[in-house]
Parts: sequence; structure tokens; C-alpha cells
Amino acid sequence: MTALLAHVPHVCLSEPLGNWRHLLAVIWDFLSLSLFSLGGGNTLLNEYHHLAVDKYCWLNSRQFADIYALAEAAPGPSSMIVGLIGMGAAVHEGPLWGVLSGVSAEAAILLPSTLLMVAASLSWNRLREAPVRIAFERGLGPITLGILFAVGLKILRISDHDTPAYAMSAVVCLLMLRTRISPLWFMAVAAVLGLLGLVNR
Amino acid sequence: MAANPPSQEPTPAPSHLELFLGMQQVALSSFGGGLSAWSERIVVEQRRWMDEQAFLTGLTVARLLPGPNQINMAVYIGSRFHGLSGALVALAGMLLLPFSLLMLLGLAYYYLRETMVVDRLLAGVITASAGMALSMGFKIAHSYSRDPVALGIAAASFLAMDLFHVRLIPLVLVAGPLAMAWYWPRRTAQP
Repeated sequence: MTALLAHVPHVCLSEPLGNWRHLLAVIWDFLSLSLFSLGGGNTLLNEYHHLAVDKYCWLNSRQFADIYALAEAAPGPSSMIVGLIGMGAAVHEGPLWGVLSGVSAEAAILLPSTLLMVAASLSWNRLREAPVRIAFERGLGPITLGILFAVGLKILRISDHDTPAYAMSAVVCLLMLRTRISPLWFMAVAAVLGLLGLVNR
Repeated sequence: MAANPPSQEPTPAPSHLELFLGMQQVALSSFGGGLSAWSERIVVEQRRWMDEQAFLTGLTVARLLPGPNQINMAVYIGSRFHGLSGALVALAGMLLLPFSLLMLLGLAYYYLRETMVVDRLLAGVITASAGMALSMGFKIAHSYSRDPVALGIAAASFLAMDLFHVRLIPLVLVAGPLAMAWYWPRRTAQP
């Protein structure tokens, strides 16, 4: 377990997005992930981390943990984290490029699933009782479950590095499952603990 | 659930502008959370664009299909009235304000992340968000507790991704069809 928790630093250089072949490859990666966002999109977090940190070197793991927290704390669907990843890829060229890149990444991740959703909404009455629909729902559910555990553990590993931090995460996890308190409260309390220096990275 | 009396007919189809503004109202109302409840209150109870039944069908489709659930729901609502253009307008209404705000927050983050206060603040917040991420699996695990095959599939998917670093797309492309074959409805379908 400790070996798995260790973060291996590696040299990583990002390629400029101005190279259009590279840009197309990036856009293709986001477009193709779109149709694999099972269970509401959280299953994609490991892939986002892989793309942003390991493959394209836009962010390091620490920054990824930061923007995940930011997307969870901000109002609106937390899947908008893709906009923050896109921003991270280009923000060193200036704020405008950062925003443009963020909007493009979000559009790329939403486009395919949106088109499929439109098609499904318009033909739902035929799909409702189809065996493929039932098999899809029951078969993909357990896979989603396994992936969500892998994603949770990954985020935990890149966020927490000492005992108080792990303890705080465990308490929040338990309260998320046992109470209906708004997660914003947990984040507010954790922010204060961070400011006071009681939890560290 | 407080359903409308059956005598109340849904109002005529909303225009593109009404769709945009309605979804923006949903996005704004849910700034503190509870997006799906707000969406139902506004779309079904206040504006009467659809009845409870149609709304719940939408939730089912939105959860089943790939894509973020709330965004899929906006697409469902929009496409019901104006097809693809309605879907895009509803999506824009849903995302414009929160996404703009997130972009501003993002810029603030990328330019200020080296400062002490932001760094300390986030050092705290990430412990809470990590706990939230960890809870996602546990939250749905109980629905599979009586199905050993499902638990086996879940465990295998977890190990494949966490231990063997299999990427999501190949994992789903291999495990998906196998799991679907196992769960393919036999003889009579569920009523």
C-alpha cells in the first residue's frame, strides 16, 4: 500500500498547443472520452489526471488536486473541471488564451455526449424496453462502481500526504455518507484548518 | 411528492429564449447545491413545461447515458421542445453563469496559487474534496451488495484501473460487453 501511495516524480515537458497536430490530438482525446463518462462523469477523473499530468504535462498532481477542489466548491456541475484543465494548458500564454482553451476543452468533452443524449431523448420510447438498454444499465453499473473507488483513491493519494489530512478526508467521507450536511460546510471547515496550519499537503 | 392536480395541463412549448432563461434560473437557484430539486421545482411546478412523469423519465435517461447528469437533464429538456437547437440553448443557459464564474476562479487560482494564503487555504480544502471523492463509490455500493457477480465485476474494474493502470476506454470496451452479456435479459423482460 505504501508503495502505491508514493508519488513518483518524473520530468515532464509540455508541448505548445500552437502546433496544430498536437492541438488536434488533444481535442481528439477529450472528444473520445466524452462517450465513456459513465455514472455522471466522475468516472473520468483518473483519465483527466492521466492526460493533464502524465501525458501532456500541463499540471502537476498537486495542481490537479487544487482544481478538483475548486470545481467541487464552485457552483454548478463539478464536471466543469475540464474547463480548468483546459485553462491550465494555455494560461501561461496569457489569461485570454487560458479562457479560450478552457472553453474549447469543455465544449469538446460535452459535444459527443450531448449529441447522443439528444438522440436518446427523441427515441426513448423505443429504447425503454429494449434488452440492450436493460443490459447496459445493469452491466455498466458495477463497472462504474469499481471505477469510482479507483477514482476516489487516486484523488485521496494526490491530495493527502500526512496523517491529519487523511483523518480529515476520512471524517468528510463518513459525514458525506451518514448526514445530509452540504459539502460546502466541510470545505469551509477544511479551509480554516488549512489556514491555521493544522492540515498540510 | 406534491404532484400538480391532473386538471392542470402543461403550458405550450417554451421558446428558445424562455428555455435559456429558465435553465439560467435553475443554475442560479442551485448555487448552494441541490440542482436536481431546483430543476424540478422550476421546470415542473413553476413553468409547467412538462409533467412529473416526463421529468422523471428525463432523470432516468440523463443518469443512464454518458455525460454529467445535470447537463444531460438540460439537454433532455431542451431537445424535447426544439431538438438539437433547443438542447444547445438549454445547455448554454445552464452553463453560462457557473462556467464564467469558474473561469474567473480558475484565473485567480493560476495567477495567485503561489501566494501563502491561497496555498494554505487549498491545502485545507483538498482534504475535504478528497473525502468527497472517496465517498462516491461507497454511496452507490449498497445497491450491489446482494449480487456477488456485480461485486466481482466492480472489484475487477477497480483492480484493473488502480493496480494495473488500465485506461478507462479499453477497460469499458472489454468489461462492458462481457458484463452486458451476463446481464442480458433472458426469455421474458422485466415488466
